[in-house]
Amino acid sequence: MTADSHALTPPAEHSPVAGLAHDARGGISNPILGMILFITSEIMFFAGLFAAYFSTRANFVDANGVKEWPPSQFDHILNPFSIILVATVILVLSSVTLQMAIWAIRRDDRRGFLRNMAVTFVLGIIFLLLQAYDYSLLFEEGMTMGSGPFGTTYYTLTGFHGAHVFGGVIMLGVVLYRGMSGQFSSRHHDAVEAASLYWHFVDVVWILLFSILYFL
Amino acid sequence: MHPIRHPRNVAIIGIAFIAVGAIYALGAVPLGYEIEWAGVTMLGALGIAMSLMAYVLIAGSSED
Repeated sequence: MTADSHALTPPAEHSPVAGLAHDARGGISNPILGMILFITSEIMFFAGLFAAYFSTRANFVDANGVKEWPPSQFDHILNPFSIILVATVILVLSSVTLQMAIWAIRRDDRRGFLRNMAVTFVLGIIFLLLQAYDYSLLFEEGMTMGSGPFGTTYYTLTGFHGAHVFGGVIMLGVVLYRGMSGQFSSRHHDAVEAASLYWHFVDVVWILLFSILYFL
Repeated sequence: MHPIRHPRNVAIIGIAFIAVGAIYALGAVPLGYEIEWAGVTMLGALGIAMSLMAYVLIAGSSED
């Protein structure tokens, strides 16, 4: 194709492949590419944390020589059917509302996009507040970072996840602000797609965390 | 589209790693060992990560 014919033929901009935005030459768009590479590295980061948790758990023996996980003094504290379950439902719900925001912007429904983005943003903040409240309850019960391998691994895993949620909430806030400024449309919303990939990833990691820490 | 660029190859790469993880886990029991979940976790995660990298290579390359 010559330069002239290229100029006459408008490129098929952002033709979706696998539902994700691509650039005019058929390649994947830069924000999506960057986010997928980032998420790939994050998968291995969390895999390392999970592996450390399993390794610690497998080798754990308490002061009395008993191999019990969680240790008996924390067994009654970690109740999955408590505030943490509410936080989990809220985080899963936030992924649903974010996906609704994506669908809305894809069909150029900016009002629906902003409404769902705002709800997602608020749900993310509520999750963080609930996690902070749950931490305060655990501290009151005497479970801290210094409570042996169990306390250390619990707070390391959930703390790093909380930090990622905090980063995600900032990302959602930026996307929401840009959306309110009218910067996104059905043709230009790569940043929204990238932020949603990250948020869904954080959600999946939490479901694994919650299942492993509270049920396994 | 060249056959190697078919999206199913992405899944094959991930499944290969996960299959190795499954053999590593299930093979331990008949051999008299405990399942080593740390290694199984890493292999599973590596399968997902490798699939994503393969997706980036396939979907990210231009058509020409």
